[in-house]
Amino acid sequence: MELAPPWKAPWFLGFGFFFAVGWFLFGWVWPAPSPRQPLRYNHAVHIANGMGCVDCHAGGRDQERATLPGLDTCLMCHQEAVTESSEEEKIRAFAAAGREIPWAQATRVPRHVYFSHRRHVALGGLECVDCHGAMETRTEPPRYPVGPTTMDACLDCHEQRKVDNDCNRCHR
Amino acid sequence: MPRWGMVIDLAKCTACQACVVACQTENNVPCVEPEQAARGRRISWLTVLPELHGDYPRVSMRLLPLPCLHCDSPPCIRVCPVGATGITPEGVVRQTFARCIGCRYCTNACPYTRRMFNWYRPEFPGGLSLALNPDVSVRPKGVVEKCTLCHHRLMQARERAQAEERPLAEGDYLPACVEICPATAMYFGDLEDPDSKVAELARSPRAFRYLEELGTEPKVIYLSEGEWTGSEEERR
Repeated sequence: MELAPPWKAPWFLGFGFFFAVGWFLFGWVWPAPSPRQPLRYNHAVHIANGMGCVDCHAGGRDQERATLPGLDTCLMCHQEAVTESSEEEKIRAFAAAGREIPWAQATRVPRHVYFSHRRHVALGGLECVDCHGAMETRTEPPRYPVGPTTMDACLDCHEQRKVDNDCNRCHR
Repeated sequence: MPRWGMVIDLAKCTACQACVVACQTENNVPCVEPEQAARGRRISWLTVLPELHGDYPRVSMRLLPLPCLHCDSPPCIRVCPVGATGITPEGVVRQTFARCIGCRYCTNACPYTRRMFNWYRPEFPGGLSLALNPDVSVRPKGVVEKCTLCHHRLMQARERAQAEERPLAEGDYLPACVEICPATAMYFGDLEDPDSKVAELARSPRAFRYLEELGTEPKVIYLSEGEWTGSEEERR
């Protein structure tokens, strides 16, 4: 007896069907959970207007941790309307409600890893763009980690730049 | 390159246990229930070891603060099957907690019993969880932990010195136990630097290393008037 080619077998078609449906559902309709930002911050516009990274992300150069901007930082420019954007209006809505902007931190290293911005930027001479990529092209706030947060990426860069790879410099 | 070492003057030590408390708080060492502690499952990177000598009424007690001795030839690192522990070029016996699989070979290999296993999920009752040190991770259940010589303090001290464009000076980097010692019985520094206080004390005739006959070459050096040295029989 001659066997039918496998792509005509019912189990194969069934598998293919479920795979296609799953791909659609999980890939598009139901994307992986990621932090949603409270307002659509536009990096590109801010950088084009001459703002630097540490103007908002204080500590990103000379402290261990870079920070997310607080309401005060935003209100330094946005106390009055600068544009007609409805997203900008949200800042003053937060201020009126007496609430901080609940930014979701998209990029983080695991709890057992010690990462110091000061060591990398101020002392190591790296630029923000080296890890975080071209933020000046982003018109939406990041929902996924911006920059390499895997050990492979750390080790690769350390090897390229001939930096010490001693485990406990990062693992704590 | 420095070779970090510690000197503990047993004549000055009052066994107040401030070093033990400082170590626990600095390094987020979890608390265990009394019944677990009775089973020998307490975690304490630094213990003041009591040793009772003689019979009543001629009794004497000696106390020995015992951190990880950071041996130059550590038996614990040779048995690790996953490379979670090793010795840094500066002589610190390191442990990468995230790498540890909890096989406890090292716990058994250490002749000083300075490696401790996390038998339980780390617990910080009351407000203790608010007082955790953000520079040190909390080790999960099933991982072996040990004294790191407050490695995070070395990292920070070095970063500070580098930012101020000067070399690391003596006293910039002190582990929590050394810093807290109210009797100043603990000294810490670079054993390689002949002018450092620890190197000077390590050369003194009072200096001895604990269980030196094992050949582990500890970098924690004790100072005493001789009663700790020699064999068990000689001491009695």
